[in-house]
Amino acid sequence: MTTPAATAPLRRNDLGWYLYGVAAADETSVPLGARLAAGAAQKVELVAEGSLVGVASRVSLQEFDEPTLPERLRDATWLEEKIRAHEQVLERVLEDASVVPCRFCTVYRSEVELRRFLSERRETLQAALDRVRGKVEVGVKAFIDSDRFTAGRAKQNDDIRQLETQVSTAEGGRAYMERRRLEQLVASELERFRGEAADRIHTHLLAAAEDGLALPLQTPELSGRDEKMVFNGAYLVTADRGAFEDALASLARDIRDDGVDLELTGPWPAYNFVPVELSAE
Amino acid sequence: MSSRELEGYRSGQPAQLADVLERVLDKGIVIAGDIQINLLDIELLTVKIRLLIASADKAREMGIDWWEGDAFLSKKNGQGELEQRLRKLEESAGLPTAPKEKSD
Repeated sequence: MTTPAATAPLRRNDLGWYLYGVAAADETSVPLGARLAAGAAQKVELVAEGSLVGVASRVSLQEFDEPTLPERLRDATWLEEKIRAHEQVLERVLEDASVVPCRFCTVYRSEVELRRFLSERRETLQAALDRVRGKVEVGVKAFIDSDRFTAGRAKQNDDIRQLETQVSTAEGGRAYMERRRLEQLVASELERFRGEAADRIHTHLLAAAEDGLALPLQTPELSGRDEKMVFNGAYLVTADRGAFEDALASLARDIRDDGVDLELTGPWPAYNFVPVELSAE
Repeated sequence: MSSRELEGYRSGQPAQLADVLERVLDKGIVIAGDIQINLLDIELLTVKIRLLIASADKAREMGIDWWEGDAFLSKKNGQGELEQRLRKLEESAGLPTAPKEKSD
């Protein structure tokens, strides 16, 4: 998309608008605006356009424009700071209002362009907003403790139980071979159970949510936990979260003896429940 | 311990960077802003920062600035290596693969 502004040379102090997300005018109060303006290192403003409000900050185009952005993106410190700021601004909005989150680094060169976006895409933005109104996203991660699984759930498998009896009575070289076979059998039972557990968790939680989806599993480096992740999900739930947390608690109790631990994250803005791309109107 | 831990599950606060990235970089509405990282760049960025997190602890042990001199977005050097590292990470994170044998 080429605009006259896109081709004009930048002056040192030119400011653009970084858009964090879009909220409804009737939910964004004056006190929220005041808190957003005061709270952050980056001043956040509410740009009202009809029934919609853009949650945005003025940013230096020196910092965010196309020629310099790739360089910035290579700086991990800058990136983490900006990514966390993006999330924190939206979390503060979420305390008061429903919000359609924008993806990282959505920047307009002028307030006119930002307002034009809000008015031209009003219908699709409003539809996205209606879907998440009064709701938040929560994350649920499930991990399996292989020791607890081996000591408990694995014994429900007949072959494993039988082999255990054989191992306890075998001697010498045969005992070694049988132990190895048992370990392999437990390992493959664990792999099978991971899939079963993921299905069970998702089905159970989906029943207590408006919507939900499975996210890619995280490695131990990313999750920060040694145990294997068996499930990573996101759910759209009512903002009070009561019914969902009750369902989660009962599931956690049921599945604990199998070696599975659950972790709840959020509330998040509904990143996973807004359209990825706005279709042209 | 939060009251919810008594319910049998953990409540993760503050948010872990990996969970934030998973959302802020991968999800959320993508609009035709005047200036926006194009989708390919976003994908590359996502890959890059995940690798940075994954390797951060190791790099810190070695005492190096782990993001300096990264050839990632220059798209010249390191891409092959990067892809390999990514594939390894994905394999270890991915859907059930062949069961691992214990080496002991």
